[in-house]
Amino acid sequence: MNSLYQHKQDLERDGIIFSFSGPMSHDIIEGIGGAIRAKIGEGNDGDKRAALKVFSIFVEQVENVINYSVEKDPANSAMSFGIVVVGKKDDLFFVSGGNRIETSRQSKLEEYLTKLAAMDKKELKIYYKERRRAGKEEDSKGAGIGFIEMARKSCKPLEFNFQKIDNKYSFFTIKICI
Amino acid sequence: MENLEITATKSSPEIKFDASNYTLSIAGESYPENTSQFYEPIYKWVDDCIDALGDKKMTMDIELIYFNSSSSKVLMDIFDTLEDASDEGKNIIVNWIYDKENDSALEYGEEFAEDMEALTFNLVEKP
Repeated sequence: MNSLYQHKQDLERDGIIFSFSGPMSHDIIEGIGGAIRAKIGEGNDGDKRAALKVFSIFVEQVENVINYSVEKDPANSAMSFGIVVVGKKDDLFFVSGGNRIETSRQSKLEEYLTKLAAMDKKELKIYYKERRRAGKEEDSKGAGIGFIEMARKSCKPLEFNFQKIDNKYSFFTIKICI
Repeated sequence: MENLEITATKSSPEIKFDASNYTLSIAGESYPENTSQFYEPIYKWVDDCIDALGDKKMTMDIELIYFNSSSSKVLMDIFDTLEDASDEGKNIIVNWIYDKENDSALEYGEEFAEDMEALTFNLVEKP
Protein backbone atom coordinates (compact mmCIF):
# COMPACT_ATOMS: atom_id res chain seq x y z
CA MET A 1 0.00 0.00 0.00
CA ASN A 2 0.99 3.64 -0.38
CA SER A 3 2.23 5.56 2.60
CA LEU A 4 0.41 8.75 3.52
CA TYR A 5 3.70 10.25 4.66
CA GLN A 6 4.22 12.28 1.48
CA HIS A 7 0.65 13.62 1.69
CA LYS A 8 1.22 14.59 5.32
CA GLN A 9 4.54 16.26 4.43
CA ASP A 10 2.80 18.24 1.68
CA LEU A 11 0.17 19.47 4.13
CA GLU A 12 2.80 20.48 6.66
CA ARG A 13 4.84 22.30 4.02
CA ASP A 14 1.77 24.42 3.24
CA GLY A 15 1.18 25.15 6.92
CA ILE A 16 -2.02 23.14 7.03
CA ILE A 17 -3.15 22.25 10.55
CA PHE A 18 -6.44 20.56 9.67
CA SER A 19 -7.63 19.17 6.38
CA PHE A 20 -10.92 17.51 5.67
CA SER A 21 -12.05 16.25 2.29
CA GLY A 22 -15.22 14.27 1.95
CA PRO A 23 -18.93 14.40 2.73
CA MET A 24 -19.78 17.47 4.79
CA SER A 25 -22.47 17.63 7.44
CA HIS A 26 -23.40 19.63 10.46
CA ASP A 27 -21.56 17.06 12.60
CA ILE A 28 -18.31 18.11 10.89
CA ILE A 29 -18.88 21.70 11.97
CA GLU A 30 -19.47 20.71 15.57
CA GLY A 31 -16.75 18.05 15.75
CA ILE A 32 -13.85 19.25 13.61
CA GLY A 33 -14.81 22.91 13.99
CA GLY A 34 -14.88 22.50 17.75
CA ALA A 35 -11.46 20.83 17.70
CA ILE A 36 -9.97 23.64 15.58
CA ARG A 37 -11.40 26.25 17.91
CA ALA A 38 -9.95 24.46 20.92
CA LYS A 39 -6.55 23.89 19.28
CA ILE A 40 -6.09 27.58 18.40
CA GLY A 41 -7.72 29.08 21.47
CA GLU A 42 -6.53 27.01 24.39
CA GLY A 43 -3.26 26.74 26.25
CA ASN A 44 -0.69 29.32 27.22
CA ASP A 45 -0.06 30.59 23.72
CA GLY A 46 -3.74 30.26 22.78
CA ASP A 47 -5.35 33.08 20.86
CA LYS A 48 -9.08 33.17 21.67
CA ARG A 49 -9.87 35.99 19.24
CA ALA A 50 -8.19 34.24 16.32
CA ALA A 51 -9.81 30.95 17.36
CA LEU A 52 -13.29 32.44 17.14
CA LYS A 53 -12.59 34.12 13.79
CA VAL A 54 -11.09 30.97 12.26
CA PHE A 55 -14.02 28.95 13.59
CA SER A 56 -16.56 31.38 12.17
CA ILE A 57 -14.98 31.24 8.70
CA PHE A 58 -14.82 27.44 8.95
CA VAL A 59 -18.55 27.31 9.77
CA GLU A 60 -19.50 29.53 6.82
CA GLN A 61 -17.31 27.51 4.43
CA VAL A 62 -18.64 24.11 5.52
CA GLU A 63 -22.20 25.46 5.28
CA ASN A 64 -21.43 26.63 1.74
CA VAL A 65 -20.25 23.15 0.79
CA ILE A 66 -23.39 21.62 2.36
CA ASN A 67 -25.69 24.07 0.57
CA TYR A 68 -24.01 24.54 -2.79
CA SER A 69 -21.76 21.61 -3.70
CA VAL A 70 -23.22 19.71 -6.66
CA GLU A 71 -21.14 16.65 -5.80
CA LYS A 72 -23.61 14.53 -3.86
CA ASP A 73 -23.62 11.08 -2.35
CA PRO A 74 -25.74 9.02 -4.80
CA ALA A 75 -27.28 7.16 -1.86
CA ASN A 76 -27.98 10.26 0.18
CA SER A 77 -28.49 13.53 -1.66
CA ALA A 78 -28.26 15.46 1.61
CA MET A 79 -24.54 14.59 1.75
CA SER A 80 -22.45 17.14 -0.14
CA PHE A 81 -18.78 16.61 -0.89
CA GLY A 82 -16.10 19.23 -0.63
CA ILE A 83 -12.86 20.17 1.07
CA VAL A 84 -11.98 22.59 3.86
CA VAL A 85 -8.48 23.24 5.19
CA VAL A 86 -7.25 25.40 8.04
CA GLY A 87 -3.63 26.45 8.29
CA LYS A 88 -1.15 29.06 9.39
CA LYS A 89 1.50 30.68 7.26
CA ASP A 90 3.67 33.72 7.92
CA ASP A 91 1.84 34.20 11.24
CA LEU A 92 -1.56 34.41 9.58
CA PHE A 93 -4.27 31.81 9.82
CA PHE A 94 -6.10 30.86 6.68
CA VAL A 95 -9.23 28.88 5.90
CA SER A 96 -9.76 27.56 2.38
CA GLY A 97 -12.76 25.69 1.12
CA GLY A 98 -13.73 24.16 -2.17
CA ASN A 99 -16.49 22.31 -3.90
CA ARG A 100 -17.82 21.36 -7.30
CA ILE A 101 -20.25 23.76 -8.97
CA GLU A 102 -22.02 23.84 -12.30
CA THR A 103 -19.93 25.97 -14.66
CA SER A 104 -23.11 27.79 -15.66
CA ARG A 105 -23.14 29.37 -12.18
CA GLN A 106 -19.53 30.50 -12.32
CA SER A 107 -19.93 33.92 -13.95
CA LYS A 108 -22.54 35.13 -11.47
CA LEU A 109 -20.52 33.94 -8.46
CA GLU A 110 -17.29 35.33 -9.92
CA GLU A 111 -18.89 38.72 -10.50
CA TYR A 112 -20.25 38.78 -6.93
CA LEU A 113 -16.94 37.80 -5.29
CA THR A 114 -15.00 40.26 -7.46
CA LYS A 115 -17.34 42.97 -6.22
CA LEU A 116 -16.77 41.95 -2.57
CA ALA A 117 -12.98 41.73 -3.04
CA ALA A 118 -12.93 45.31 -4.30
CA MET A 119 -14.83 46.73 -1.30
CA ASP A 120 -13.07 48.22 1.70
CA LYS A 121 -14.14 47.38 5.29
CA LYS A 122 -16.55 50.30 5.51
CA GLU A 123 -18.27 49.44 2.23
CA LEU A 124 -18.48 45.80 3.30
CA LYS A 125 -20.13 46.81 6.58
CA ILE A 126 -22.77 48.88 4.77
CA TYR A 127 -23.40 46.13 2.23
CA TYR A 128 -23.58 43.50 4.99
CA LYS A 129 -26.24 45.47 6.83
CA GLU A 130 -28.17 46.11 3.64
CA ARG A 131 -28.18 42.43 2.62
CA ARG A 132 -28.98 41.27 6.16
CA ARG A 133 -32.19 43.25 6.07
CA ALA A 134 -33.05 42.35 2.49
CA GLY A 135 -35.14 39.37 1.44
CA LYS A 136 -33.48 36.18 0.32
CA GLU A 137 -31.86 35.95 -3.09
CA GLU A 138 -33.64 33.43 -5.28
CA ASP A 139 -30.76 30.95 -5.47
CA SER A 140 -29.62 31.39 -1.88
CA LYS A 141 -30.17 28.57 0.60
CA GLY A 142 -28.87 30.31 3.69
CA ALA A 143 -29.08 33.92 4.80
CA GLY A 144 -27.10 34.97 1.71
CA ILE A 145 -24.55 36.97 3.69
CA GLY A 146 -21.91 34.29 4.32
CA PHE A 147 -19.44 35.60 1.74
CA ILE A 148 -19.82 39.18 3.00
CA GLU A 149 -19.22 37.93 6.53
CA MET A 150 -16.05 36.17 5.36
CA ALA A 151 -14.85 39.21 3.41
CA ARG A 152 -15.33 41.39 6.48
CA LYS A 153 -13.21 39.08 8.64
CA SER A 154 -10.51 38.55 6.04
CA CYS A 155 -7.23 40.40 6.55
CA LYS A 156 -6.79 40.66 2.78
CA PRO A 157 -9.35 40.91 -0.03
CA LEU A 158 -10.87 37.47 -0.39
CA GLU A 159 -9.15 35.19 -2.89
CA PHE A 160 -10.95 32.70 -5.12
CA ASN A 161 -10.39 30.41 -8.04
CA PHE A 162 -12.44 28.46 -10.56
CA GLN A 163 -10.90 25.39 -12.17
CA LYS A 164 -12.61 23.65 -15.06
CA ILE A 165 -13.30 19.95 -14.42
CA ASP A 166 -15.18 18.99 -17.59
CA ASN A 167 -17.81 20.45 -19.92
CA LYS A 168 -20.37 20.81 -17.17
CA TYR A 169 -18.53 21.28 -13.88
CA SER A 170 -15.89 23.49 -12.32
CA PHE A 171 -14.18 23.42 -8.96
CA PHE A 172 -14.60 26.53 -6.85
CA THR A 173 -12.05 27.46 -4.19
CA ILE A 174 -12.14 30.36 -1.74
CA LYS A 175 -9.40 31.43 0.68
CA ILE A 176 -9.74 33.73 3.66
CA CYS A 177 -6.87 34.87 5.85
CA ILE A 178 -7.26 35.87 9.49
CA MET B 1 -48.66 32.55 26.34
CA GLU B 2 -46.76 29.75 28.00
CA ASN B 3 -43.30 29.46 29.46
CA LEU B 4 -40.82 27.69 27.30
CA GLU B 5 -37.35 26.36 27.90
CA ILE B 6 -35.06 24.95 25.27
CA THR B 7 -31.84 23.35 26.49
CA ALA B 8 -28.60 24.45 24.87
CA THR B 9 -26.72 22.11 22.56
CA LYS B 10 -23.20 22.48 21.19
CA SER B 11 -24.56 24.53 18.29
CA SER B 12 -27.79 26.05 19.57
CA PRO B 13 -28.41 28.43 22.46
CA GLU B 14 -30.43 27.99 25.61
CA ILE B 15 -33.80 29.69 25.27
CA LYS B 16 -35.93 30.75 28.22
CA PHE B 17 -39.29 32.47 27.97
CA ASP B 18 -40.96 33.61 31.12
CA ALA B 19 -44.52 34.59 30.29
CA SER B 20 -45.24 35.98 33.75
CA ASN B 21 -42.87 38.91 33.32
CA TYR B 22 -42.42 39.01 29.53
CA THR B 23 -38.76 38.06 29.53
CA LEU B 24 -36.89 36.14 26.91
CA SER B 25 -33.29 35.07 27.21
CA ILE B 26 -31.05 33.57 24.56
CA ALA B 27 -27.61 32.39 25.67
CA GLY B 28 -24.79 30.32 24.24
CA GLU B 29 -23.77 29.41 20.72
CA SER B 30 -25.90 29.75 17.62
CA TYR B 31 -25.08 27.81 14.46
CA PRO B 32 -27.93 25.29 14.37
CA GLU B 33 -28.26 22.87 11.47
CA ASN B 34 -31.53 24.46 10.42
CA THR B 35 -31.62 28.04 11.62
CA SER B 36 -35.14 29.00 10.53
CA GLN B 37 -36.59 25.84 12.03
CA PHE B 38 -34.77 26.41 15.31
CA TYR B 39 -35.89 30.03 15.64
CA GLU B 40 -39.50 29.51 14.53
CA PRO B 41 -40.89 29.15 18.09
CA ILE B 42 -38.96 32.25 19.15
CA TYR B 43 -40.48 34.36 16.37
CA LYS B 44 -43.89 33.13 17.41
CA TRP B 45 -43.30 33.85 21.08
CA VAL B 46 -42.02 37.36 20.31
CA ASP B 47 -45.13 38.09 18.24
CA ASP B 48 -47.45 36.70 20.94
CA CYS B 49 -45.59 38.62 23.61
CA ILE B 50 -45.94 41.92 21.76
CA ASP B 51 -49.67 41.27 21.31
CA ALA B 52 -50.15 40.49 25.01
CA LEU B 53 -47.83 43.17 26.34
CA GLY B 54 -50.15 46.14 26.75
CA ASP B 55 -48.31 48.78 28.79
CA LYS B 56 -46.03 46.28 30.54
CA LYS B 57 -42.30 45.97 29.93
CA MET B 58 -40.73 43.26 27.78
CA THR B 59 -37.06 42.37 28.26
CA MET B 60 -34.85 40.35 25.96
CA ASP B 61 -31.43 39.31 27.25
CA ILE B 62 -29.03 38.02 24.63
CA GLU B 63 -25.68 36.56 25.49
CA LEU B 64 -24.20 34.84 22.49
CA ILE B 65 -20.57 33.77 22.32
CA TYR B 66 -20.69 32.92 18.65
CA PHE B 67 -23.42 33.02 16.00
CA ASN B 68 -23.23 32.28 12.28
CA SER B 69 -24.44 34.52 9.49
CA SER B 70 -27.86 32.80 9.24
CA SER B 71 -28.43 33.46 12.95
CA SER B 72 -27.35 37.07 12.45
CA LYS B 73 -30.13 37.51 9.91
CA VAL B 74 -32.67 35.91 12.25
CA LEU B 75 -31.62 38.24 15.08
CA MET B 76 -31.96 41.23 12.75
CA ASP B 77 -35.52 40.13 11.87
CA ILE B 78 -36.41 39.80 15.56
CA PHE B 79 -34.91 43.21 16.40
CA ASP B 80 -36.78 44.79 13.49
CA THR B 81 -40.03 43.35 14.85
CA LEU B 82 -39.20 44.76 18.30
CA GLU B 83 -38.20 48.10 16.73
CA ASP B 84 -41.59 48.37 14.98
CA ALA B 85 -43.42 47.53 18.21
CA SER B 86 -41.35 50.10 20.13
CA ASP B 87 -42.14 52.65 17.47
CA GLU B 88 -45.80 51.99 18.16
CA GLY B 89 -45.24 52.76 21.84
CA LYS B 90 -44.45 49.37 23.37
CA ASN B 91 -41.97 49.29 26.24
CA ILE B 92 -39.23 46.89 25.09
CA ILE B 93 -35.64 46.55 26.22
CA VAL B 94 -32.90 44.48 24.63
CA ASN B 95 -29.79 43.77 26.68
CA TRP B 96 -26.90 42.61 24.52
CA ILE B 97 -24.54 40.98 27.01
CA TYR B 98 -20.91 40.47 25.99
CA ASP B 99 -17.70 39.29 27.55
CA LYS B 100 -15.03 41.99 27.37
CA GLU B 101 -12.57 39.49 25.94
CA ASN B 102 -14.90 38.71 23.07
CA ASP B 103 -14.49 41.82 20.92
CA SER B 104 -16.49 40.44 18.02
CA ALA B 105 -19.54 39.99 20.28
CA LEU B 106 -19.29 43.65 21.24
CA GLU B 107 -18.85 44.75 17.60
CA TYR B 108 -21.90 42.78 16.51
CA GLY B 109 -23.90 44.30 19.35
CA GLU B 110 -22.81 47.80 18.37
CA GLU B 111 -23.84 47.19 14.77
CA PHE B 112 -27.31 46.03 15.78
CA ALA B 113 -27.63 49.01 18.13
CA GLU B 114 -26.73 51.43 15.31
CA ASP B 115 -29.75 50.24 13.32
CA MET B 116 -32.28 50.70 16.13
CA GLU B 117 -34.00 53.98 16.88
CA ALA B 118 -37.16 53.48 18.95
CA LEU B 119 -35.99 50.24 20.57
CA THR B 120 -33.86 50.50 23.73
CA PHE B 121 -30.80 48.45 22.89
CA ASN B 122 -28.26 48.25 25.74
CA LEU B 123 -24.73 46.94 25.41
CA VAL B 124 -23.95 45.32 28.73
CA GLU B 125 -20.49 44.13 29.71
CA LYS B 126 -20.62 40.86 31.58
CA PRO B 127 -19.55 41.40 35.18
